[in-house]
Amino acid sequence: METLKTQACELNIPPLETPQVLLHPDQRVGANMARWRESGGGVALTLAAQDLPAVHAAIREADLRGLGGSGFPVWRKWESAINELPKPDKYLVVNGNEDEPGTFKDRLLLEETPHQIIEGAVIAALVIGANRIVFYTNPDIKRSLAAMRSALEQWKASDLLTLASTTLGKPLEMELCPGSGHYIGGEETAAMAWIEGGFPFPRGKPPYPAQAGVHGCPTVINNVETVAHVSHIVKNGAAWFKSLGKNSGSGTKLYSLSGDVLHPGVFELPMGTSLRELIFVHGGGLLSGKPLKAVFTGGPSSNMLTPVDLDVALDFESVRARGSSLGTGAMIVVSEGTGIVKRVAEYMRFFAHSSCGQCPPCKTGTATMSRLLDKIDTGRGTETDLATLRNLCNMLPGSGRCHLVNGAVQLLDSAFRHFPDEFRQALR
Amino acid sequence: MMSNGISLAEALARYRADSNLAPPPALTDKDSLLNTYHPDHLRDSVVKLTVGPNAGDSCQRELAALLQAETFIDEADLAGVPVTDVDVLVIGGGGAGCAAALTAAEKGARVLLATKLRLGDSNTVMAEGGIQAAIEPEDSIQRHIQDTLRGGHHIGNPELVAALAADGPNVLRWLIQLGMQFDQAPSGDLHTRKAGGMSTPRLVHCRDYTGLEMMRVLREAVTQHRGIEVWEQSPAVELLSNETGEKCVGAVLTSLLDNRLRIVRTRSVILATGGLGRLHLNGFPTSNHLGATGDGLVLAYRIGAKLCELDSFQYHPTGLLHPSHLAGKLVTEGLRAAGCLLVNALGQRFIDELQPRDVVCAAILRECHEGRGVRVNEQHVGVWLDTPRLERAQPGLLEAQFPNLMSRTRIAGVDPRVQPLLTHPTLHYQNGGVSINVDGASTVPGLYAVGEVSGGIHGRNRLMGNALLEIISFGRRAGVAATANRDRGPKKVTLEHVNRARRALTIANMPMTQRTPLVLPDYAAGGIWKR
Repeated sequence: METLKTQACELNIPPLETPQVLLHPDQRVGANMARWRESGGGVALTLAAQDLPAVHAAIREADLRGLGGSGFPVWRKWESAINELPKPDKYLVVNGNEDEPGTFKDRLLLEETPHQIIEGAVIAALVIGANRIVFYTNPDIKRSLAAMRSALEQWKASDLLTLASTTLGKPLEMELCPGSGHYIGGEETAAMAWIEGGFPFPRGKPPYPAQAGVHGCPTVINNVETVAHVSHIVKNGAAWFKSLGKNSGSGTKLYSLSGDVLHPGVFELPMGTSLRELIFVHGGGLLSGKPLKAVFTGGPSSNMLTPVDLDVALDFESVRARGSSLGTGAMIVVSEGTGIVKRVAEYMRFFAHSSCGQCPPCKTGTATMSRLLDKIDTGRGTETDLATLRNLCNMLPGSGRCHLVNGAVQLLDSAFRHFPDEFRQALR
Repeated sequence: MMSNGISLAEALARYRADSNLAPPPALTDKDSLLNTYHPDHLRDSVVKLTVGPNAGDSCQRELAALLQAETFIDEADLAGVPVTDVDVLVIGGGGAGCAAALTAAEKGARVLLATKLRLGDSNTVMAEGGIQAAIEPEDSIQRHIQDTLRGGHHIGNPELVAALAADGPNVLRWLIQLGMQFDQAPSGDLHTRKAGGMSTPRLVHCRDYTGLEMMRVLREAVTQHRGIEVWEQSPAVELLSNETGEKCVGAVLTSLLDNRLRIVRTRSVILATGGLGRLHLNGFPTSNHLGATGDGLVLAYRIGAKLCELDSFQYHPTGLLHPSHLAGKLVTEGLRAAGCLLVNALGQRFIDELQPRDVVCAAILRECHEGRGVRVNEQHVGVWLDTPRLERAQPGLLEAQFPNLMSRTRIAGVDPRVQPLLTHPTLHYQNGGVSINVDGASTVPGLYAVGEVSGGIHGRNRLMGNALLEIISFGRRAGVAATANRDRGPKKVTLEHVNRARRALTIANMPMTQRTPLVLPDYAAGGIWKR
């Protein structure tokens, strides 16, 4: 999976004539703060500091969503934290853990546009009254870590941070926290556990992070891409942001396109762009001109999309209406000629390996599903194995504290639904 | 080809075994001879590769079409395919494959040897002349290195050539320990001959079936070794890579018997698939066996291994032309080493017979082209290999030292002691191939290449007897190196490299109708292999 990510970054071909906000060349200056400020960096923070409630209203008006996968309205998350009193601190965690197959957008933002992320995070912190910001990133992506580290150093010596602290009324502290290197570490309660110094075990909710998060303090966790949008909304207004989207979506979205397409890569497109346009216009179509077979969405823990879904608009509601979810905007495209059994077995191995092991159904369930799928994939499967897998699909959902086991089941279940024959043929 | 020349009957009538022959004219401009007449330099025979690790390099047209083609299998074909785990997979059951398998097994590895046809169906068994090794008192490793480099027009990699020459005596020792027979001088020392391109006698041989004798002992050793499993009639159709597509971790084999796929998961793959004579480059006949279709080059290129000298092939000067059902079959260079001469239809010598093979080959083609050849029919023109004169000079030599040739011609109704043999160059050997280092390792981790499929040793022309040396020397080197990797083996086997190759082909707008590797030539009997 590492391949998909790296290859995609190398081959990234910037889409033509599409709005570029987060990936605009002015933003992609790396950790060079002087260049970033020359092209208007920091203006949004100055504006925001003058009227914080207006920022909150603008975010609400702009309909900015949690772009890490949930699609939850950002303003609502913020509001519940605004209403909490600091005990004694308030935290904003910027989540850039990003470790699922096929997703490689946050690393690009962190590496090439660290200042845009920090500015957005500072504005968000001011709005919710957080005095501590934690940038929680994937420890394995050294280049994004280095860019963030250097950018944060420059911020600490800059007048922008002084302005922020003055506005806040107490010192605003920023910290870079490399994650644990686990996929599960990207789950928000697991991230909090790691920041507190423990193993990234997810925990049940409630209490929600906004009430009791890191060290029991009110905490807001936002994805890197989400906070990156904040400064642009402050600068250009909610109406502008809404106008960027297509159909019912607003703003732009980074889609991580990989798999059997000609030009894999990260594409910043209007939220609500159709799957067809993404694959055939921006991705250059399928390899060898083969027909499309399926698309694994959102870091493959969801129902797969099939050719009948080609015209679905890629925004949270439309994809959900098809029984799938947009997730992180990762689209792993597979063409005819790709073995679904092999793919599903591969992803199931990933889930089994990623299970933190605290909930027995998830720990043993994903491991069993992975073992049985491997067995079928290598020609040793029996009818009983298939029946067992189907049973597990009915039993397992909802049995874990976090969403991991549900995602794994959804993936397998949709494979059963769409490609039942392939499983049967693999039994020999 | 060429339509002029003197007819067979007329040339035969004109031929005299006892005539006085003038020495051949001095070779003044070797390069212009090669440039004008050697098939490597034929117009339109070479194209530039557009995709892959060798993009931009020259390559024979027929080979380029195979290297830049679609694969046979898709990921979907691998669903439910049984997986076999071994330490080392050797693809190819010729001399190089057997040497590699034996050495790896001696080091304690579990080895699977998969071969397209049967164990020993290879060009090794057709090697007649002998094996080079610097064992004579007046010879030295250094002279062997120099001869090899000079013969290859100084294109060969000196490091590889040095490793090859230095291994020579040890290779003989190893072979003799396995039970291989060599001809001996009356003193009991190994008998040596001097052949084309050698500065001193260095060719050790067993009659005129050295390769067959070598394969006999190798085959016995391989089948008897408990650490080696042999799968016959199991051609490889694709290699497998790790999840990044950058390391070779196995191969997909099929079976000519039941057409089922099998996945072999391994730490190292040793390619010993031989050459590509059956592609009949430039329409030449070939001395190669039926399975020589260049599969190894295709597999290695697709997974990203660098190749070298793809536009350089060896045409053996003396392939039989007549009688027609022996066309392409080889007459050993050992004959010329023993003193046999080449004469044209006018009964003249035209080249020093012990020049390197490419020069002799170009000279023969020049004679044919300029009307001094013997014409069998419209397409086929050749020159005489003057065996009766050799018989007159050294009576009994043919019978004693070339029994293989004698039995083959006897079946065809020709007696080389009274009638000269009509010969014409035949596509014989692939000089280049997969770039390797002294361990036989290609540029892709986990992938080794040995024998004819590898390249870099022979430059643009191979000397006689260096091929048999190479297969054992580098086969053993790769066998050792491939077992040195003691990691836990691959976690995941994928076709990631195939996707990468497809992407490159699609972006370069290349046709993707041809599917490779070929496995068997189009005209192979029965169509067992039809997908």
